[in-house]
Amino acid sequence: MASRPGDKHPALLALTSSALLLPAYQGVRADAPPEFIELGTRYSKYEEDNTQGSKTFGGSSQRYEVDAAQFHLLAPVLDSWAVAVDVQWEDMSGASPWFVGQSLDGGPKVIMSGASIEDTRTEVSVTTRYYYDRGNAGFNYVHSDEDDYESNAVALDGAFNSADGMTTYSAAISTSADDIEPTQGSVPTNTLKDNKDISSAWIGVSRIVSKNAIVRFGLAYTYRDGFLTDPYKKNDRRPSERNEWAFSTGYRQYFFWPDGALQADYRYFDDDWGVASHTLDLAWHQNLGERTQLIPFLRYYSQGEADFFANIADTDKRHYSDDYRLSSFGAVSGGLRVRHEIGNWALSAVGERYETDESWGVYSGQESPALVNYWRYSFGLDYIFR
Amino acid sequence: MPHLEHRFRAMGGPCRLRLDCADEALAARAIAAAESEARRLESKYSRYLPDSLTSTINRAAGSGQAVPIDPETSGLLGFAHTLWQQSGGLFDLTAGVLRRAWDFKSGRLPAPDAIDALLPLIGWERVQWDEAGVCLPLAGMEIDFGGCVKEYASDSIANLLAHSGIRRGLVDMAGDIAVVGAGCATDPWPVGIRHPRQRGAAIAHISLAGGGLASSGDYERCLLIDGRRYGHILSPATGWPVRGLVAVSIAAPQCLVAGGSATIAMLKPEAEALAWLGELGLPWFAVDSELRCYGELSQVSP
Repeated sequence: MASRPGDKHPALLALTSSALLLPAYQGVRADAPPEFIELGTRYSKYEEDNTQGSKTFGGSSQRYEVDAAQFHLLAPVLDSWAVAVDVQWEDMSGASPWFVGQSLDGGPKVIMSGASIEDTRTEVSVTTRYYYDRGNAGFNYVHSDEDDYESNAVALDGAFNSADGMTTYSAAISTSADDIEPTQGSVPTNTLKDNKDISSAWIGVSRIVSKNAIVRFGLAYTYRDGFLTDPYKKNDRRPSERNEWAFSTGYRQYFFWPDGALQADYRYFDDDWGVASHTLDLAWHQNLGERTQLIPFLRYYSQGEADFFANIADTDKRHYSDDYRLSSFGAVSGGLRVRHEIGNWALSAVGERYETDESWGVYSGQESPALVNYWRYSFGLDYIFR
Repeated sequence: MPHLEHRFRAMGGPCRLRLDCADEALAARAIAAAESEARRLESKYSRYLPDSLTSTINRAAGSGQAVPIDPETSGLLGFAHTLWQQSGGLFDLTAGVLRRAWDFKSGRLPAPDAIDALLPLIGWERVQWDEAGVCLPLAGMEIDFGGCVKEYASDSIANLLAHSGIRRGLVDMAGDIAVVGAGCATDPWPVGIRHPRQRGAAIAHISLAGGGLASSGDYERCLLIDGRRYGHILSPATGWPVRGLVAVSIAAPQCLVAGGSATIAMLKPEAEALAWLGELGLPWFAVDSELRCYGELSQVSP
């Protein structure tokens, strides 16, 4: 005979709302620094399907592959600080679309960059975070270096909890300076040396709506300025500025039976290049006992093409691009994440399949012959020193 | 799943943790964290410890100086204020001074003059407090968190256990009970409700699937004089024991809310208390002075 919400007497409402102001009822103690040192390592593989022969003009149809190794360290420092260091090494190889041409039957076909591109990237990220009674604040520096690219970025973020602990307000700003120096030799490049700057700001709010549910909203703005063209694509000339906006929302609900949580997220993106997109993510977090979690997930993405996108680019125009990433398409991806703890160790694995098709989208446009499908796998091992 | 049980004493009573946890190291860490939380709240709020915040506030009574407090303490004062409002002044955090006249171990009733002399020191409405500090205006005034801190401790420990990785467990702080985590409707905890007249016996057994359960009764301390019981639930208006129900148990999502509601019910005259419990919207169980049982608290969902 549990009470129903509609039955609540004013006295009960008053007692409950004044009790919930106390710290013990204020959700997860997120604003405490980690208690123990955590070390983690992860190997990931990203593997694009080869482009179908019917969509290419000769050339290598072997597409991109990325092997990545990651290392993660999180350590408490003093009473209310934590430091995180993340290092990532990536090895990228394969051919990428060079341009789209017209075949004899009039349809577009993609021409791949002839020789296989080989590149390695190293990224180091350092974050310091300060925890105070009602929130936390972080400073992050990222340096990324590859053969043809160098990037330095800094970010500041903060979170603040309301007095009743039910609402968290968050904000972040970041800026990066990127230098581009394309590798010469495989294809003619659009520039010898150039740069771009990216600045972004984000605000968000999340609220605990019941003992088992949380809802969140976020707004983001990003400004890109500089050389935004892909240096390796023949028919690519983009504006030197891009303004992007994104709205996101999410809901998470825990269910006593079957001891799992549903997570649903939606994001709307819009920019002044004419690109707009919808992203819908669904994930089910299933607990199996105390130590194992199974997380199947599904994502739907639909994008509308940029104003200057065309499969057969008109290079007389001021801006043009045949890059499939600026085309209209729909994509569906799904996968499974598994996590299992053994003592102080945690094992995790992810497998994901991504498939795309112009006709799956809600926006109309020309189908790019270079649309890509891929597999992604990841294996991780974490240790906590407690 | 191994069923672990850990007993300790804190806050003047026996405490018991029941944990379903296969990982001994995790359970040991969680138990240590739970005990230290009980000790923390005891050393902060016990009126018996001279270094506690409660003692510091009481010593400063009449000095005109506000004692600085933290958000947890202002939260407890806020909850006590709500209990005072919702009980029409029957619950009063300053009523503890009556203990100076009432000695339940002595076997003697206090002199009426002694009680009358204390009544001017009672009056929550005269306490000045806000988020930053609290000031008792008259020398000799006292506050006593005894009416809610044990229930709060039970919730806080349950919360801490959940965040230590315990997925199923029960915290029992001398009868103030909280279920760890979200609970489970299909696998509730069996909990006994103490008999108000037979020591060590249960008057009812219930199933608690989630949230908290708190009990209040005049079994805890009383005087028996010429066959008449004088319970420890004292009216702040008269200074004498309330002639109401002898025991009330309430289940609520939070043990603190359950305990506060049970205390209000104990402070009201019997008929008024039963009517109030019936309207409140929480599962409840009450026993009157003739040992008649009321309420339908048998199965409690999360």
